[in-house]
Amino acid sequence: MTGTSPIGMAVPAPRPGSADRIRAFASRYAILLFLAAVVVAGGLAAPGFLSGSNLTNMLMQFVPLGIVVIGQTFVILVRGLDLSVASVMATAAVAATAFGGVNADAPAVFATAIGIGAAVGLVNGLLVTKRNVSPFLATLATMIVLQGIRFAWTQGAPSGNVPPIFRTIGAGTFNGIPYNVLFLLVVAAAGAAALHLSGFGRRLYITGGNPLTAHLVGIRAARVTLAAYVVSGVLAAIAGLVLAGFVGVVDNFVGRGFELDSIVAAVVGGVALSGGKGTIAGALTGAAILVAISNLVVMLGLPVQAQIILKGIVIIVAASFYVARRR
Amino acid sequence: MQTRTLRLPRFLAGGRAALLVVVALLILLFVLGASVSDRFATTGNMLNVYEQSAGLALVSLGQTLTILTGGIDLSVGSVISLLSMLTSGLIAGDEAMVIPVVAGVLVLGALIGAANGVTIVATGVHPLIVTLGTGAIVQGVALLYGLGPVGSVPISFDAFAYGTFPGGISIGATVALALFLLVSFFLNNTRTGRRIYAIGDDPHAADLMGLPRRRILVGVYAASGFFAALTAVYLVSRFNVGQPYTGANYTLASITPVVVGGTMLAGGRGGVIGTLLGVYLVSLLNNTLNFLDISSHYQLVVQGLVIILAVSVYVEKQRGLA
Repeated sequence: MTGTSPIGMAVPAPRPGSADRIRAFASRYAILLFLAAVVVAGGLAAPGFLSGSNLTNMLMQFVPLGIVVIGQTFVILVRGLDLSVASVMATAAVAATAFGGVNADAPAVFATAIGIGAAVGLVNGLLVTKRNVSPFLATLATMIVLQGIRFAWTQGAPSGNVPPIFRTIGAGTFNGIPYNVLFLLVVAAAGAAALHLSGFGRRLYITGGNPLTAHLVGIRAARVTLAAYVVSGVLAAIAGLVLAGFVGVVDNFVGRGFELDSIVAAVVGGVALSGGKGTIAGALTGAAILVAISNLVVMLGLPVQAQIILKGIVIIVAASFYVARRR
Repeated sequence: MQTRTLRLPRFLAGGRAALLVVVALLILLFVLGASVSDRFATTGNMLNVYEQSAGLALVSLGQTLTILTGGIDLSVGSVISLLSMLTSGLIAGDEAMVIPVVAGVLVLGALIGAANGVTIVATGVHPLIVTLGTGAIVQGVALLYGLGPVGSVPISFDAFAYGTFPGGISIGATVALALFLLVSFFLNNTRTGRRIYAIGDDPHAADLMGLPRRRILVGVYAASGFFAALTAVYLVSRFNVGQPYTGANYTLASITPVVVGGTMLAGGRGGVIGTLLGVYLVSLLNNTLNFLDISSHYQLVVQGLVIILAVSVYVEKQRGLA
């Protein structure tokens, strides 16, 4: 976005020469250019794609994924991975139905969801930092445990409703702009500020980029890593409430597929699984690409199966691109 | 010389210790089950546990190999689904088609796996991402092929899953057991087998030693695809038909016995015998929970806790994400 890297060090200026400069520009903004290409191509191929109602529709689908991707980015930046996000989303949504379903309960619902997300993030983070469990296994295990608890609690099918205010946040619009988009903007701004402007963000990038350096400069890497998992858990819980409000019904599988989609989006957006590299803006762009492609498949009348196939191709191509660029 | 230097750290890293933990857990479960019901500790029930281990065993065998190299194969579930559909879809009830179709499916499984391996070595992208992508592609193809059960197989096709040797010993589970012993021998006693450990232990050192790392990786992912294909054939034998989501649960399920059996996700340590015991542990656990009359919901909780318990006991060698 700017001439500095996320940890505030100056990026070497591209060598002079217009070809080099164009290449450097294309390389840095490749992901945005790709999104622009998808949008333009989509607009040309499917007339309804860029219509106001379809854009609103895409934005609403984008928001829950966007919130989860922001949390996932925190975790991937410290060389982690959070497979439990979808389970946290569903658990938060199911817990939300346990209250009276009136607006007066909204603060309690919100607090409960955040409590669940923070608790799961804490368990994930402690397993990773204290027991040295690989992030993949730690979050896989909490995902399974959480799923079991949810099934046992609901005995299969949850009943009850979320307070109407969540329905408004999740599905309502204000002059054509969905409320939940405003909500995402707030979360994204807070996340970006935490990552790119605060001392915590700097420590996070150093911890993920080079643990040895982090140790040498006196960063308590375990604490930073733990915080990243808590952020991911809390944001997943919030996304669960937003998605439940958007869909209008809560079942045991709210957010199914979000664990993999959020990882795909982050990787497509340039967040490196090797840690320390990536931005919130990039990750959100990755999420936007996924949503746009899925929507485009429907608008073009292609078989829905093409969505998954394209998703698979996009992630491999994008990841290869980043690996090749970093060499 | 080479084998000696490779073997020592693996032994010290607690490969044997992990096996002891699993054996202890197996005994504990057995005692628990036996104290709950008279019918638990019977030959019939144990043969039942053995029989039900076959599907998970076959897919976990291939998964162990990819994890030993420090990778992972998240495409196995989709591969199982697609190939199960092709098996019953192409046999279509015709006895004469059984052998050519099964042979073709096994070859196709190995080819899909090899394609995973080639993509991994050619792009340098983490296997987790590559196989997540190819898994999505294969799942999409499976759903294009059919949205529900496809085709049928002759009645006799169920022999692989339900057939028994004299004494009621399951054929499928015994085939799986034999394959585990074969692969274990291969890993411990052949040059390529030892090299799989060397690659997983330190890929950089493997390159410096001039090991054919890329070729071995392609071979390992081809093997994982092959065992996924065999699992698909087994599941068609069990359910008489292939379906687009038959394999869905096997992707993550195949990882549990591997890590419970002491193979480290970081690669280079562990082995297939641990995985086999891990498979029996999962099978015995489900059986015991059934005897305890615990709902399947709590079975999930217990399974997750077993993973946490196992991986918290074995100290992981921390390297990278997986």
